[in-house]
Amino acid sequence: MSDNSLFLGRLRGPVKTAMIGFIGLTLALYIYLIFQRLFFEDSIGMHEMIRPTGRPMVQIMLGALGAALLFASLFLSDRKGSIETKPDGFFDLVSVVLGRLGMIMTAFIVLVMFYEVVSRYVFSKPTLWANELSLWIACFVFLIAGLYAMQQRTHIRIYIIYDMFPRWAQKASDTLSVGLIVFFTFALVWGGFNDAKNRWSRMETFGTAWDPAIPGIVKPALLLLITLVCLQAVSNLIADWNKAPGEHSPADEIDETEIENIRRTLEEKN
Amino acid sequence: MVDIGTLSLIILLAMFALLAIGMPLGFASAFLAVVTLMLKFDPDIIWGAFGRGPLSVLGQAVYRQLTNYVLISVPLFIFMAALLERSGIARDMYSSLNIWMSRMRGGIAVVTSIMAVIMAAMSGIIGGEVVLLGLIALPQMLRLGYDRNLAIGTICASGSLGTMIPPSIVLIFYGLVTETSIKALFTASFLPGFMLASFFLIYIITRTRINPSLAPLPPPVPGEPEGRDKSLMFLGFLARFMAWFTAVLFGRALFFTATGDNAIREGEDPIPLGMVADMPWIAGAFAISLAIIFLVVGRERTAKGWEMGKGLIAPIVVIGVVLGSIYGGITGITEAAGMGVIAVFVIGVIRREMTFEIVWDSLIRTLRSTGTIIWVTIGAASLAAAYTLAGGPTFVANLIVGADLPTMGIILVMMFVFLIMGMFMDWVGIVLLIMPVFLPIVVRLPAEEIGFFGHVDPRYIPIWFGVVFCMNMQVSFLSPPFGPAAFYLKSVAPADISLTDIFKGFLPFICLQLLALSVLLAWPPIITLFL
Repeated sequence: MSDNSLFLGRLRGPVKTAMIGFIGLTLALYIYLIFQRLFFEDSIGMHEMIRPTGRPMVQIMLGALGAALLFASLFLSDRKGSIETKPDGFFDLVSVVLGRLGMIMTAFIVLVMFYEVVSRYVFSKPTLWANELSLWIACFVFLIAGLYAMQQRTHIRIYIIYDMFPRWAQKASDTLSVGLIVFFTFALVWGGFNDAKNRWSRMETFGTAWDPAIPGIVKPALLLLITLVCLQAVSNLIADWNKAPGEHSPADEIDETEIENIRRTLEEKN
Repeated sequence: MVDIGTLSLIILLAMFALLAIGMPLGFASAFLAVVTLMLKFDPDIIWGAFGRGPLSVLGQAVYRQLTNYVLISVPLFIFMAALLERSGIARDMYSSLNIWMSRMRGGIAVVTSIMAVIMAAMSGIIGGEVVLLGLIALPQMLRLGYDRNLAIGTICASGSLGTMIPPSIVLIFYGLVTETSIKALFTASFLPGFMLASFFLIYIITRTRINPSLAPLPPPVPGEPEGRDKSLMFLGFLARFMAWFTAVLFGRALFFTATGDNAIREGEDPIPLGMVADMPWIAGAFAISLAIIFLVVGRERTAKGWEMGKGLIAPIVVIGVVLGSIYGGITGITEAAGMGVIAVFVIGVIRREMTFEIVWDSLIRTLRSTGTIIWVTIGAASLAAAYTLAGGPTFVANLIVGADLPTMGIILVMMFVFLIMGMFMDWVGIVLLIMPVFLPIVVRLPAEEIGFFGHVDPRYIPIWFGVVFCMNMQVSFLSPPFGPAAFYLKSVAPADISLTDIFKGFLPFICLQLLALSVLLAWPPIITLFL
């Protein structure tokens, strides 16, 4: 199976083992935590889960979850989806791995919401944490989605006039665009650095019952991720420099593979 | 530093220039946000100290967008639509509808429209729908010898209804930008959406009646039920569905009684159809359904009717989950989208279609589209924040309100701007960049002068304008030269159908959309009927 491996090569097997191992460990810990939640008074719940200081059990759980996510993202990013552009260069890899993380987290949000709706509507025991947890995860999904879209070059652009330019003018416009993106990032960091640093050092919380550190973590992450997007833009510029000019039309939005997939689904039972 | 008039002009021109050189829309807006701040404040205030100053507005604006709970519904709706596309739900729905209507003149076109409406009520985005309808219905219509223009127009116009009928991603963004209640927007757009769909249906039926050669009938299939028999079967199908539905409702009410959730308490809203007092009614409806099945239709016919119609069950369940939880007050928009994902997934598992690969592919598509849409939001939010800080919207509003134009004249100019921009730009860009400027103007116009035959309460004006905007965007999906629906259809149509043919087929349907738009403009109270 390693022939269509993108970058892991021989490491693919070990990474897969590590992924399965950590997912197994996380699930086992999760079951154990539910178990002790059911039978013991002084147990670890979602409230303790985001306050790991002095609770080795929580630290292990979070560590296992983090490792499971990391290895799953690494493993899944090793294979290119049929509708994706091939990653090319170091920043592309970072973006794709983070993109995989974003995809896993999107599915995770759905599960969290499902849990919340069932426990509120069926068992009349609304959770304190589900809404804030999905909000917290979603912030990262949104930021990562932008990085991923930049690597995939799917950000909304208008090509009508651009396509009429000669190649050198296109290159000049691309350079200008990227330069302006760099300038924006610079201005953003210039204006927001202290704010982000203060909130990070205080680990500022959301001020609710569950009280996750949304501002404390998202504000610095925002600066970091936008900087990554900016680096990705520069990396794209370099990677695309010598590519032949492509014609763009709204038809590019449509991917043939997906249509082929839909067609297959439709024909299967006819 | 520079006055606000010059600043607005510079930003506007720079925006055109940057878009022309192909800079991504979101980043162009973000950069112009910096420019706005630089023009507004002294350089030493801005660059004086690292880490603070007016530029911190940018980070704040982005953060506010990211932590908006409703925004989470966007990736979830995209995810749900991607899963739907890959399931066989649409195909089965088509064959069910087709059985009921195959003997009708223009039947397949009508089926296409109805199917599009049902799909529009399931998901809130377009693209997938046009592709699906193009793959399912177009070959049938062409094989039967339907008029090409009619077939093309029907598929694309109906396929675009996705964003007009709730849930609609366009309305979600409108609600986010203008801080209007999204639930109210969904309720308000219901009737206009169905009005537009019925315009399509009336047009198809009238044209095929006047000129039957446009839509030849398929040869009758031997052994297929006809006439009265078929209607009875349909009745049997409905009765059986009703029986199931009421049985589930009864079980739900019983469950609430057992858990004591529906006990009558002061200050708590009763659970709709879940109170003890509702149970006799539900049981009565159940009994009537059974009576129809056994006494009127007969068991055998019911079973046959059920077999023919069961492709409609899955879509009804999905609509019930998504719209039911929004209107039934069970969940908000975001959680409804999450439940929609679960519903489609579970149906897919029951139908033995869901695989890890399909889910994963859908997730890849979700993240791509999310990145594309959300980052326009982020950029536009920064620009809107910076421009508001500079006093821009007030300036523009004063300019227009002070220009002494008739109220409806201003509205019509705005419609014109929407239509022209819609020809070149994605709806997302329009709602994020233009709305923060336009809506304050509309709100300041005298409400009693908006509309020709009837007027709405001033507090409903933002909702009305949102629906009007949504209708405008319907036109933009079809309008040449870049109407996305045309390109989606082109990708699945036979090679001999050119883009020009497709756009030609759109013409009558664009006129119908404009007609629906003028109804909305002339008679605004149409949106308040359900509010």
